[in-house]
Amino acid sequence: MLGILKKDLNLMISDNKNRLFYLLYIPLLFLIVDSYEPKWMYLVILYTYTYLTSITSFWHDISNKTSYMINSLPISRKEIVIYRYVSTFFYFLMTIVYVGIYLWIINILGIANVDYFNLEMIKISIPIILISTSIVYPAYFRFEPRLAQIIHLFMFITFFIGVMNVGYLGKKSLVDNLKFLSNGKYILLISIFLYLLSLLLSIRIYETKDL
Amino acid sequence: MGSILEVNNLRKEFKNFTLDNISFNLEPGYIMGFIGPNGAGKSTTIKLIMNLLKKNGGEIKIFGLDHIKHEKEIKDRIGFVYDENYYYEDLTIKQMKSIVSSFYSKWEDDAFNRYMNEFDLNPKSKIKTLSKGMKMKFSLAIALSHNADLIIMDEPTSGLDPVFRREILDILYNVIQDERKSIFFSTHITTDLEKIADYITFINNGEIVFSKSKDEILDTYAIVKGGTDLLDRDVRSQFIGLRETSVGFEGLTNDVNNIKKMFKEEVLIERATLEDIMVYTVRR
Repeated sequence: MLGILKKDLNLMISDNKNRLFYLLYIPLLFLIVDSYEPKWMYLVILYTYTYLTSITSFWHDISNKTSYMINSLPISRKEIVIYRYVSTFFYFLMTIVYVGIYLWIINILGIANVDYFNLEMIKISIPIILISTSIVYPAYFRFEPRLAQIIHLFMFITFFIGVMNVGYLGKKSLVDNLKFLSNGKYILLISIFLYLLSLLLSIRIYETKDL
Repeated sequence: MGSILEVNNLRKEFKNFTLDNISFNLEPGYIMGFIGPNGAGKSTTIKLIMNLLKKNGGEIKIFGLDHIKHEKEIKDRIGFVYDENYYYEDLTIKQMKSIVSSFYSKWEDDAFNRYMNEFDLNPKSKIKTLSKGMKMKFSLAIALSHNADLIIMDEPTSGLDPVFRREILDILYNVIQDERKSIFFSTHITTDLEKIADYITFINNGEIVFSKSKDEILDTYAIVKGGTDLLDRDVRSQFIGLRETSVGFEGLTNDVNNIKKMFKEEVLIERATLEDIMVYTVRR
């Protein structure tokens, strides 16, 4: 599994578009969005980096048609799927460290006053990341790349609409009325259950699929 | 020693194509050529062997082990070269090697570096900057650098110039000097196989036509040339395939004695090439 992680990190660093995204996304977000509560900005950044990093490696395999090569190496399909689900946590930790350093520098330089570590937002982001990847990962394992991309975009846009909903309406927002943010403990348990269910489904799909 | 690759009654169904009852054996120390026209089922068979496609029936054993139950163990001992480049185009040769090598238990950096020098490949080159021939060389270097006992190649020489094709064949010939290793080599360029293959498996329309030693095949089949006046319905039925022109005919037979008895000195009998056998069988 370390081999695939090595591959994904290599691809992440080698791709110019990725490098630009990692470097410019935060300043661009600060230019475009003016948030009165810096913590929401921190949530958006955490989610975007973790989610998109997890999905990008799928995209590399699709655009390079490399699944034949990966599946011809000594690794089972089950391991490939398990790696994908485990890697989300790795990317999440990586994001917390990277974003923490990036935002800390922004704070130190006095460019903006932002949260560079916020435990409350980290707790909120975990179920959001788990639920969205629970839906998108099986889609990538099961469907044609184009359809999987549509599901991925739908999920990503839904997240932004949700955040905007909370940002503009606060306590009156649909997200808040659904108690998504306040019932943290239950949401976390539900999201973990969903993530495990999604893992089993993806293993089943990928193990029986023609590449 | 048992077979290195054993395929029994393999079956795979698609909407418009069925691979049916595919059976053949490859022993250690030999090269098997897998021939057939485009769309005959060569790549499908190789994908089934590599478990990239799921079979509907039959059995595949590699090194005497079931290819699904012991997938990891088996793939650790297989070197593969496919007809297209399936490596990441944005990575350099060095980066790609570093990724692939971490999967194999018996990776040999010395062997890889030796092939890099032999093939004149720069480890710093990005894969997308390599020509088709260079990509093929890189794939071959990877396939030969982890002590693989079985090399599986899907059309490795298609689209390559004759000089490089000969280079590949020489390398394969050297690999096979180790009698524990075998090569399964699909191609439609049959002249390549006439040089190095020990066994030939011919597939057409998803079915095996034959799987025999090359010498046996070349001894069995013959091209018969004669005048059109010799042809009638009964005579035509004696040939596997027949090509008629205004001046004469040319046909493929696998029963030379019968033809000799039938025509005596009236026809010319020549040794058939693998290409003749493939073309006449497909056309019939």
